[in-house]
Amino acid sequence: MEAYILLTPSLIGFLLFLLAPIAGVVVISFFDWNLMGSPRFVGLANYREIAGDSEVWRAVRNTVYYVVLNIPAQTVLALLLALAMNRRMRGGKVLRVLFVLPWMAMPVALGIVWNWAFDPQHGVINQFLSLFGVDGPAWLSSTTWAMPVLASVNVWQYTGYTMLFLLAGLQAIPESLYEAADLDGAGPVQRFFRITLPLLRPSMFFVLVTNTIGSFQMFDTVYVMTQGGPGGSTDTMNFHIYQQAFQLFRSGYASALAMLLFALILLVTAAQVLYFRKRTVYDFS
Amino acid sequence: MSVSVRRILAGAATGALLLGLTTGCGSSGSTSSDGTVTLRYAIWDAVQKPALEKSIAAFEKQHPNIKVKIELNAWAQYWSKLQTQLAGRTAPDVFWDHVAYFPQFAQQGVLADLTPYIKADKLDTSVYDPKLLSGWEQDGKQYGLPKDWDTIAQVYNKTMLKAAGLTQEQLSALSWNTADGGTFVKALQKLTIDENGKHPDEAGFDSKHVKQYGLALASPNGQTDWWNAATQNGCKLQDKAWGKWTIDQPSCVEAIQFIRDLRLKYHVAVPASVTNTPNGAALPQVMARKQAAVVWDGSWDLNAYQSSMQDNFGVAELPSGPVGKGTVYNGLSNALYTGSAHPKEAWELVKWLGSEESQKIIVATGSVWPGIPTLNQEFVDVWKKKGVDVSAFSEEAAGTTTGYPLTTSSATYNIKVLDAFNQVWLGQQSAQKAAESVNEQSNAAVK
Amino acid sequence: MSSSITSSSSMSIPAVLRRSTLYAILLIGALLSVGPYLLTLNAAFKRPADLLSTDAWTPAHPATFANFADVWNQYGMSSFLLHTLAVSVVVTAGQVVFSAMAAYALARLEFPGRDWLFWGYLATMMVPQMITLVPLFLMMRDLGMVDTYAGLVLPTVFGTPYGVFLVRQHFMTIPKDLESAARIDGATTWGIFVRIMLPLSRPILATLATITFINTWNNLIWPLIITNSDRTRVITVGIAALQGQHASDLPHIVLAGAAIALLPLIVVFLVFQRHIVRSIALTGLK
Repeated sequence: MEAYILLTPSLIGFLLFLLAPIAGVVVISFFDWNLMGSPRFVGLANYREIAGDSEVWRAVRNTVYYVVLNIPAQTVLALLLALAMNRRMRGGKVLRVLFVLPWMAMPVALGIVWNWAFDPQHGVINQFLSLFGVDGPAWLSSTTWAMPVLASVNVWQYTGYTMLFLLAGLQAIPESLYEAADLDGAGPVQRFFRITLPLLRPSMFFVLVTNTIGSFQMFDTVYVMTQGGPGGSTDTMNFHIYQQAFQLFRSGYASALAMLLFALILLVTAAQVLYFRKRTVYDFS
Repeated sequence: MSVSVRRILAGAATGALLLGLTTGCGSSGSTSSDGTVTLRYAIWDAVQKPALEKSIAAFEKQHPNIKVKIELNAWAQYWSKLQTQLAGRTAPDVFWDHVAYFPQFAQQGVLADLTPYIKADKLDTSVYDPKLLSGWEQDGKQYGLPKDWDTIAQVYNKTMLKAAGLTQEQLSALSWNTADGGTFVKALQKLTIDENGKHPDEAGFDSKHVKQYGLALASPNGQTDWWNAATQNGCKLQDKAWGKWTIDQPSCVEAIQFIRDLRLKYHVAVPASVTNTPNGAALPQVMARKQAAVVWDGSWDLNAYQSSMQDNFGVAELPSGPVGKGTVYNGLSNALYTGSAHPKEAWELVKWLGSEESQKIIVATGSVWPGIPTLNQEFVDVWKKKGVDVSAFSEEAAGTTTGYPLTTSSATYNIKVLDAFNQVWLGQQSAQKAAESVNEQSNAAVK
Repeated sequence: MSSSITSSSSMSIPAVLRRSTLYAILLIGALLSVGPYLLTLNAAFKRPADLLSTDAWTPAHPATFANFADVWNQYGMSSFLLHTLAVSVVVTAGQVVFSAMAAYALARLEFPGRDWLFWGYLATMMVPQMITLVPLFLMMRDLGMVDTYAGLVLPTVFGTPYGVFLVRQHFMTIPKDLESAARIDGATTWGIFVRIMLPLSRPILATLATITFINTWNNLIWPLIITNSDRTRVITVGIAALQGQHASDLPHIVLAGAAIALLPLIVVFLVFQRHIVRSIALTGLK
């Protein structure tokens, strides 16, 4: 009974403002609807269309490619940063703020500034490279470079944020464990792999699950920097869904695409959960 | 949670939703107890908002029982929001409409036919340019009154033009052809200089290190670049209004190829990697950085050039092509929402915004040409005072023009053309192939 | 890794060297983090003509405050800022309280369907939000909440799956013995929640508060859809509205607006960060 009282406010929000609209999306995915006229029931037609839509599968590939570029780089960088910051140091607090700053950025302003930075001739990045005699590519006009650029911008934006959680996890590891390891004569590498990494797993789990879900739904950066180009090389699932829903007036099809993305994320998250469940040996509770 | 509870919840949610989908009522504006009607008016240009507020203040004075609230959202969000509102039948009473979206709206019945109102009020629509007025018409129904118009012309850097020994008159009189580029390319060669001071037609010209280009072009859909060349080459974007796309015809492909050649063959235009939408530099920025001597741009950007170049810019006509002169001619309208709870008052607003009195107020800001051509001179005078002769835009409007294509497939076209043609300008795809694929996909989307 | 290196007074030369290298790397990282902001700020001080004609890193000279003044006065940012503040505070307060309550039930109390409910929460995070906006908007319209503060606040004020997930993970790390002891002393569930669980969770709640505040502050799409008039307009929508149809419209104003909008976020972060660092512990799913 108490459980339900505690849950009530959250459940109201969950059922009314999350589940109900999602149920709506599921329903719409069986309709042909352009938002203006009345919806027409089409059964599984939207889903059948997905199967034969090569642009959708390109978007799936692009999304997976983006996640593969983004998540490992962001997680490793955040971990290194957290390890470096996990000590008493002068200016530590200031540094922490500076590292988390990118996460607070407003996408609109970010788009303007990053497009300047990657300008092939006047951009900071190519000007910097030219100091070393390197002729930088036209980053955002290149089908090879555009996606790595978007991934870098997102790594820039979320590394400090991710570090915050890992730093918190590091600080929860009891000092006594390290002291015991020191007595056993363990070197820094052994300490890291035997103590730090296993004990960090819970934090790592949260960070990986939520960041992966977020990465699969990446939208802002594509929207402000490339609009899916060049040559469709940065057309990710969520951007494709946006185009179908809000530029082409195809709500039904976009809803079906959202279901596909949902299934994809569910699959990957389930894999992560199984992996971590098997390996989480330390139990804090 | 047990299965049955979940089923009930899902059922309830679905029910609520379908109710939402099918119920047709809902009001947009509101009426207060003293009988004052409040209308909502949606626009997307922050620059024009102050002038519109002035015009609306005058309107409210004439109609003490009507209040108007302007709802400003950027172009990038305007349409998503409007569509969501239309889905919820809560769209604004009056809103800015663009030709790219108009056909779909007309087809879906969200735009009120103004013809009965025009007849009842005996409104004289001959004050508008017939080309503009007919752009908002389908099957004898009028879905908007012209708010403004725009054409494309050549904005040039005065200092650079002078240094190359050219005048505005000469710039307006150039012509191009597909064989050797004609006098247009010759002039652009004079205006293009590499880091050693050499021009593209000279031996030893280094196309990799160009200090100043003759021309800069940029457009997400063709309006400010190849549609103009296409018009000058006799290409029709559509077989007829509301018909099929025909951009794969030889006259169109030649024009596309010519625009591509300006960059990749003649090396007289800024590389696409610098100007391609959406991450490229905006044309006024290219001019401010002195990367180019001339740009093709729309009259809507005049204020941007003024703020970035003060009085060091002028406006010349576009060159003529193998078939002659030509430009893209377009404009916006004010549309009346069929779901408005106060159609009579909303019509009064639409009528006012289309009137000479209101348009005079907007013209004074110099932001857009007026929908009523007799006021064109006032626009010219505003800019004369600022030291710029903008008559090239209106000269062109009087000549051969191409309107924005009237089709229900604009959205598909816009998405496909941006990506395909960016690749053409970069040299990653052929003009022929890009034109064919965009044409085919756009036609498949015509409803 | 550990703080054993911190005993500072008598460091050997290699240690000093290691330490300076570390500092150097961190500083470069910090510079990369801040770089785009410096460019934003620099640009916001430029005159419109200079903004277009000079390179991004060229200092604003002569510097002008006109962009800030314009965005503040002419474009009504001061009132948008107030609306944003009100909405962010309410949503943050609601989320922290309600997420903590739900998280406690999901972490500690036994009731039928608990795990299903938890997985349901997680699963909703995986549905692309953008696509749910239209049904959500239609619902809000039926509830008569278009263009109201209620409409702005309701969808997130009851907590989000993310918040519940975060706090639940933390509650699971708190030893159960504490509760059993309290229960023997006659404490109620509510009493345990308020007197034991919440005080022990201050860092995670501070984290959640920060995240919620910043996310709500920066949210563009929902406020864009649900509000119409300046009466309810928030700062992100206000700034986004300044971008015209063409890329050349008003970038100086947009950047000045973005710079203004960032300041309160830094303040919030500084206030909360004291609580955030130092022992947040998260644990795996079970």
